[in-house]
Amino acid sequence: MKSARAAQRQFANALFSAGCYLVTFIALAFLAAILWSLLTQGLGGLDLAVFTRDTPAPGSAGGLRNAILGSLMMCVLGMAGALFIGVLAGTWLAEYAGDSKYGAVVRFLNDVLLSAPSILIGLFIYGILVAPFGGFSGYAGAAALALLAAPVITRATEDVLLLQPGALRESAVALGTPLWRTILSVLWRSAGGGILTGALLAFARITGETAPLLFTALNNQFFSLNMGKPTASLPAVIYQYALSAYDDWRRLAWAGALLIAITVLAVTIIARIVAREPRRS
Amino acid sequence: MNAPLSASHDGAPETAITPVPADQVKVDIQDLNFYYGAKHALHGVSVGFARNAVTALIGPSGCGKSTLLRTLNRMYALYPGQKASGKILLDGEDILGSSLDLPTLRSRVGMVFQKPTPFPMSIYDNVAFGMRLYEKLSKAETDARVEEALRRAALWDEVKDKIKESGLGLSGGQQQRLCVARAIAIKPEVLLLDEPASALDPISTARLEETIALLKTDYTIVIVTHNLGQAARCSDYTGLMYLGNLVEFGPTEQMFTNPVTQRARDYVTGRFG
Amino acid sequence: MTLTADASPGLKPARPKGAGFDPIFQALCFAAATALLAALGGVIITLAIGGWPAFQTMGLGFITSSEWNPVTDVYGAAGPLVGTIITAALALVISLPIAFGVAIFLVELCPTVLRRPIGTAVELLAGIPSIVYGMWGLFVFAPFFSKHVQVPLMMSAPAGSIWEKLVAGIPNGTGILAAAIILAIMILPFMAAMLRELLLTVPPQVRESAYGLGATRLEVVSSVTLPYVRRGAIGAVMLGLGRALGETMAVTFIIGNSHGFPKSIFDSGSTIASTIANEFTEATSVAHTSSLLALGLMLFIITFAVLGLARLLIGQSKH
Repeated sequence: MKSARAAQRQFANALFSAGCYLVTFIALAFLAAILWSLLTQGLGGLDLAVFTRDTPAPGSAGGLRNAILGSLMMCVLGMAGALFIGVLAGTWLAEYAGDSKYGAVVRFLNDVLLSAPSILIGLFIYGILVAPFGGFSGYAGAAALALLAAPVITRATEDVLLLQPGALRESAVALGTPLWRTILSVLWRSAGGGILTGALLAFARITGETAPLLFTALNNQFFSLNMGKPTASLPAVIYQYALSAYDDWRRLAWAGALLIAITVLAVTIIARIVAREPRRS
Repeated sequence: MNAPLSASHDGAPETAITPVPADQVKVDIQDLNFYYGAKHALHGVSVGFARNAVTALIGPSGCGKSTLLRTLNRMYALYPGQKASGKILLDGEDILGSSLDLPTLRSRVGMVFQKPTPFPMSIYDNVAFGMRLYEKLSKAETDARVEEALRRAALWDEVKDKIKESGLGLSGGQQQRLCVARAIAIKPEVLLLDEPASALDPISTARLEETIALLKTDYTIVIVTHNLGQAARCSDYTGLMYLGNLVEFGPTEQMFTNPVTQRARDYVTGRFG
Repeated sequence: MTLTADASPGLKPARPKGAGFDPIFQALCFAAATALLAALGGVIITLAIGGWPAFQTMGLGFITSSEWNPVTDVYGAAGPLVGTIITAALALVISLPIAFGVAIFLVELCPTVLRRPIGTAVELLAGIPSIVYGMWGLFVFAPFFSKHVQVPLMMSAPAGSIWEKLVAGIPNGTGILAAAIILAIMILPFMAAMLRELLLTVPPQVRESAYGLGATRLEVVSSVTLPYVRRGAIGAVMLGLGRALGETMAVTFIIGNSHGFPKSIFDSGSTIASTIANEFTEATSVAHTSSLLALGLMLFIITFAVLGLARLLIGQSKH
């Protein structure tokens, strides 16, 4: 007993559902296309030399060793700084800020910083670390990466600390534990999984960051452990090589892109597993 | 410190406080008022809690019994906007006075919470946590103290083989006894229990009550409970609270067999609350 | 009342270890929080001071002029400014319906077995670095786009029509529209993942009671679910827009990097971010550097406004 109106409603609904299926298919097709290109173009160039040899001059053989190393050094140093600032700042927001005005301002601006264009962070670090101190350096690159990762960790730390039951805090305090020890030995430990997830996501974010490194760490064609000098990084090398006219450079760029994508995806997946880890209680 | 006995319409008094003999009083509360910001939560409570005895605080939700408990170790100091006035004398020393050091107070007044709150560390470290704050102990001394605390909390036999495992792996009832062990390991004088069995099953509750009975030889215990049977079983004194007032206080037997106020009669027979 | 002898079994040590460290720790946490604030302030100040000479020498012309010429040392920001806004807006228009569709699909339509894998895939897609999107855009997408979209459109445009002007350009697959599409692909999973989270916050009872009245899926979504999350959804979309405005690498690869106003959807152009990325390390004159920093300041102001609004809307929707 369908009226015309009911038929019309059902038709609209069917159209809508089909649309949702279609756009999801399109989105997944893009993902598949990107991954496919990465694999087909990148796997060919991904051999042992990539890890054992440094970036070559055009036409000669080489690898990405110096770039991988530079990326690793800057990311690790950047993460160390970001963890220090981020965990403490998140702790302040969750444990000390309360409903204060200043807390609300910090919270809001941290969220803005979280999604601010990374290239502007690069310009800022250039302005305070590169221009006044005589040149591009790996330290400046690490500082830029730290500034990109810190807001993510701050946010994660605050969120997960606020999830801790009040009774846990109180039962440490009830033993006469000073607040800082309560935070260090009980709350941070209890919130460890969440903070780790945030840190991993921050790490995934900075691993592929290119723009802020262009005017902080610049690039370096040679193997170097000295972070006081311009330092190579995978994203910067990829950028340079991909836009070059040389086939072997382009092949290395694809291999590097695949390497970065694998790293980011792996770290993201680990973060999700850590986040899902059921806590026994 | 006797509250005035005022008569209500049917002859029963509005409040009835039978004080503990003065020489047995460990915690003496005098005209205690408590405020959550602007909200007046305790109205001039005056009562003494006896040494080496269990005092139960009962009453309907929101009556102020947990609030009263949380003034005894000044847990409320954690939250800005909450304040207490009046006096709480612990062995004659006013703990509401500003000169008192909070950690010192909390080393003398321990607390166990509604839900078990094991710290995210091993069973051993949970118990040793508080001790290590106050004292520098050798490994052997620490071991002995941990074992003693766990024995007193009636948990030793169940955990002695997995003492280095996480406290989070224990059952709810075991976790709660672990929290008791953690609280008594620093040798407090007063032990506050805030509805300690409300999250436990009947068997775990029974074990916890046995533990409480064993502990009272050494500690002054104050327990807040929703469960009238539990108050009747474990306590020596019982206080009934209602809307921020202490309505009736006296020996537990009297409270449950021959309550004085109408409010207490109604409450213990289940007619309100 | 007097102190009785048995009251304290052994003298209690007065204070726990480290009790005095509390104010120091609190100050440390406060300092860290303030450092974040100072960083954001530092970004503004660096850009404002560095960009000031550009505004000073060129005045309002800096914003209205589209002539950007490092050789003659004349800089007008209108080209990158317009390019930024057009590409971001186009990207949003393209990805918005898709993002909503994907989110609604995941929450309302997806078979349970597929829900988790597809949800995960969308989130992973959101994490792929932008330089990968850029490379893919330049080497894979652009040739395809040129052959299957750009050239057919140019061929079919009637000579002399507005349509012909709109699709004019070098048929190499790069340009404004290609950049916008790559941006759209980039912000799509980001927005879809956020919208999905939002839709999951709608209490099941609310949806079920609408279904209980005999509403179809479309009616439930359009009149119950979406209005329920409206503020948060607008916030999520603005965050996506903020991302598109500030994105650098993906755009730099494919927009063509020419200054001045784009004349058609296939014309090459530039955005603020791509201009800075391309020229900052090579800028030698003071005017050039200063103009790039001034561009950065404008980008900051635009994104700050968009992101601030987004955060306010999302923050409100939580309560």
